[in-house]
Amino acid sequence: MLALLLILWLPFTRGIWMSLHEWPVVGERTFIGFDNYEFLLGWDTFYISIKATIIYGLSTVLQLVIALVAALLIVNQKWFKNFTSSLFLLPYTLPPVVSGTVWLYLLDPNFGPILTALTDYGLLENGLFWRSSGDLAITVITLVGAWTFWPFMFIIILATLQSIPEEHYEAAKIYGANRVQRFLKVTLPQLKSAIIVAVTLRTIWNLSKVAQPLQMTGGGPGYDTSVLGILLYRFASDNGRMGLSFAVGIFLLLLTSVFIVVFIRENRRSQQTELK
Amino acid sequence: MTHNTVKASDYAFTLLRYLTLFGLLGTILIPLAFVISVSFRPPEEFFTSGVYLIPKNPSLEAWEQALRFLVEPLKNSLLIASGTTIVSMLIAVPGAYVFGRKEFPGKDIIYYALFVSLLFPHILLIAPITDIWFEIKLYNTVIGMWLALQVFVIPFMIYILRDYFEKLPQNLEEAAQIYGCTEFTAFVRVVLPIAMPAVVAVAFLAFLIGWNEFLFANMLTSGQGPRPAIVELFLLTQGTSGNVYWGRLMAITLVLGTPPTVLYLFARSYLGQAFNIT
Amino acid sequence: MPPKAAQETDKQSKSSPSTHVLIEDMRKTFDDGSIVACQDINLSINEDEFVVFVGPSGCGKTTTLRCIAGLEIPDSGHVEIQGREVTHLKPKDRDVAFVFQDITLFPHMTVRQNIQFGLDMKTSLSGSEKEEKVREVAQMLGIEELLDRQPSALSGGQQQRVSLGRAMVMDPSAFLLDEPFSALDANLRDRMRIEVKKLQQKLNKSMIFVTHDQEEAMTLGDKIVVMNDGRIQQIGSPYEIYNEPANHFVAQFIGSPSTNLMPCTLEAGRDGISISSGFFELELPPDLADQINGYEGRVDLGVRPEHLELGEDGIFEADIQVVEPHGSRDAVYLTAGDRELVAVVDAGVIPQDRDTIQVDMDIDKIWLFKESGERLL
Ligand SMILES: Nc1ncnc2c1ncn2[C@@H]1O[C@H](COP(=O)(O)OP(=O)(O)OP(=O)(O)O)[C@@H](O)[C@H]1O
Ligand SMILES: [Mg+2]
Repeated sequence: MLALLLILWLPFTRGIWMSLHEWPVVGERTFIGFDNYEFLLGWDTFYISIKATIIYGLSTVLQLVIALVAALLIVNQKWFKNFTSSLFLLPYTLPPVVSGTVWLYLLDPNFGPILTALTDYGLLENGLFWRSSGDLAITVITLVGAWTFWPFMFIIILATLQSIPEEHYEAAKIYGANRVQRFLKVTLPQLKSAIIVAVTLRTIWNLSKVAQPLQMTGGGPGYDTSVLGILLYRFASDNGRMGLSFAVGIFLLLLTSVFIVVFIRENRRSQQTELK
Repeated sequence: MTHNTVKASDYAFTLLRYLTLFGLLGTILIPLAFVISVSFRPPEEFFTSGVYLIPKNPSLEAWEQALRFLVEPLKNSLLIASGTTIVSMLIAVPGAYVFGRKEFPGKDIIYYALFVSLLFPHILLIAPITDIWFEIKLYNTVIGMWLALQVFVIPFMIYILRDYFEKLPQNLEEAAQIYGCTEFTAFVRVVLPIAMPAVVAVAFLAFLIGWNEFLFANMLTSGQGPRPAIVELFLLTQGTSGNVYWGRLMAITLVLGTPPTVLYLFARSYLGQAFNIT
Repeated sequence: MPPKAAQETDKQSKSSPSTHVLIEDMRKTFDDGSIVACQDINLSINEDEFVVFVGPSGCGKTTTLRCIAGLEIPDSGHVEIQGREVTHLKPKDRDVAFVFQDITLFPHMTVRQNIQFGLDMKTSLSGSEKEEKVREVAQMLGIEELLDRQPSALSGGQQQRVSLGRAMVMDPSAFLLDEPFSALDANLRDRMRIEVKKLQQKLNKSMIFVTHDQEEAMTLGDKIVVMNDGRIQQIGSPYEIYNEPANHFVAQFIGSPSTNLMPCTLEAGRDGISISSGFFELELPPDLADQINGYEGRVDLGVRPEHLELGEDGIFEADIQVVEPHGSRDAVYLTAGDRELVAVVDAGVIPQDRDTIQVDMDIDKIWLFKESGERLL
């Protein structure tokens, strides 16, 4: 058990130590105190990265909407319920790098079917080279992120929806609640906790996603789509600046810690009610 | 009168429901249809214009190339994913059991330390882990990958399994002990068989995490080492603005996407339960 | 008087050769001693005795039983089974069987595998010998047709029967049953109760049965152990427990409707000792007065509902609130002064519309309890 904690927390402590150094993969390490942190805070690009991270993190909202709609549609479905919900899971069950590849193809400006179709029907003049426009690139990775990860929330919400007893709805019907009222008064309150958990969990994870956006844009153009995760990765992998990379990580941790706290609180609460 | 309007709104609602349902399914199935279609097109077909689904000259060339390319990387992926699964099971199953059903000093604190690491953005650890792995010569080894992935596999497994163990009937092991078991045999003979479906499900999840994982795999392996298929795919898609053979890529995609999908669909019911929050 | 003596004789039987399970000065606490689950437990059980632990919820019955089984280790004191010190032995080395309150069949095994489980773990019998034993037990319990089913396909009663079977097949030196039928409906519970009693007589094994239902305790036990607040209040036959309660608690807990208890004052007057409540006064006859050794002051007077005599003359008058039919008998709820009382009389003796009645009681049938709860008379 202790070994377990060690494997988790030792690298973390070591990382903090590293972040106080100029720490190349091989070669001299020099202690530089908080210079890494100061550098980041004074570096304009760092703020671009934070902005990108937040935009990318906002895909959580999109995911929630899709997941909620999908779960509500499925829960009363009579035929092929299991089959359909399994289909809904497909984007999530594919490795993110795989779904990234798929979308790279679909959105390929020259050969991909989507943009080709749009040009064929005259909606677009030329191929849309979204990878070279910062705004477009961030939009694309955010949307693809939403497509990839919404089923996770779907699973949680659906499981909770299914555990709402039918009697609650029947009781509401007897008292004359219409469809909207039933949703607002019966469904939503019981989903609240599940939604909070799903949203916080997903936000934490979305804020620290790397593989898929990195694959789709390489963090560019420039640093426009370099979410913190990618920035961190670029420092570690491309530049070999391990200390600086971890310093970025610390900022990422700060950003997510709010949600971590929310999640832990919610988790505790739901465990306590379970006991009762 | 009111009767009729109710009916009309019901129909409208049903219609809307199905439209949305099919719309959603479309966003998933249409891309997949293209992926499958493209994987059967010969290289030349990519330069013809127009959007269509049925390949004009179906060919297996893309698949042949893909499989030839994938032999080595797939071996690595398999090795990494199954090893990760085994290592994590050895630690997480007894661990989850202890957390779920035993009392010991410091339990809450240790559990929360684990729990936080479930949420913790793991990418932040790539720098220190790469560094440590270099130093203890685990860089570019399969064992190095097994160990590195435990960082997020184990908390995840313990989280799901603990919940399951906790919900088993209270006196199960005690009954076993009365009739001749020690604490250990009670776990092996009684609790483990009962928990088997959940354990298998979690093992599937561990496997698919090991299979899907990109970041650590990319940092901790190189072309000379046990580089898994996911990383190879990633590298293939880099610098692709030129003329790539999309057919081959899509075939690779399908090969890599299938195992985790199948495993996930098996493991699914347990995931839902673990996250069933009311 | 007998109540105290009952405990005494019990302790003396400690050395007797028929003693089977012996518990001495046992104490068990939880949460670093902040919860005392049971203490000062002294008890000896004979080879073929049916012992029932009874007491309100949380009084420590289960804890005591678990200490005997080895599922808990007592803080102090010790447990002997068949003359062997077992206080610190593992459950599996004690040769006892335990049937739990909630059903604990192993869900992944068939009924047969469940019953056979202990034999598999503890013995080296051959397959056919085990099979024979399982069959025998199943026959005794009437569950032969269920042997190849999964536990989930059984009713609650059937499942508990299988639990019993799993215990019986081991031929243990003692059976420990912790409220085995509390999850069953009343009818089934009555049937199972009779069956268990018959089984115990057939097997001739000591059996400890825990319940919080005093009626169940009275019908089952050869020996009843009444517990409250982690302590044994009284040990005795159902007859002793009912007729000679050792203290206030036992008097009140055993019997339904429960004993009437009235606060009174004991005073030595010129011509003897008198008991007075707000609404009546009684004179103690000299032979009883001798027994209380000049005790004076506040006491509680207890009298069973069936020993209140209702009629045309008595020592006080009471208002009739409700007459509740109980088959051959009626329970009559009364108020006198500010006290609520209950009497049990033959059915139909008291007309439904009667408002008041005279109450009398037989001085030989009353009990007096000191303020501490101890029995005085
Ligand atoms: N594992 C434990 N940890 C802490 N306190 C406990 C534990 N087990 C029992 N107790 C406490 O010890 C006391 C006696 O409990 P016990 O279970 O023996 O009562 P019981 O007589 O069997 O009650 P019931 O009729 O409800 O089963 C109770 O106050 C209970 O809360
Ligand atoms: Mg109990």
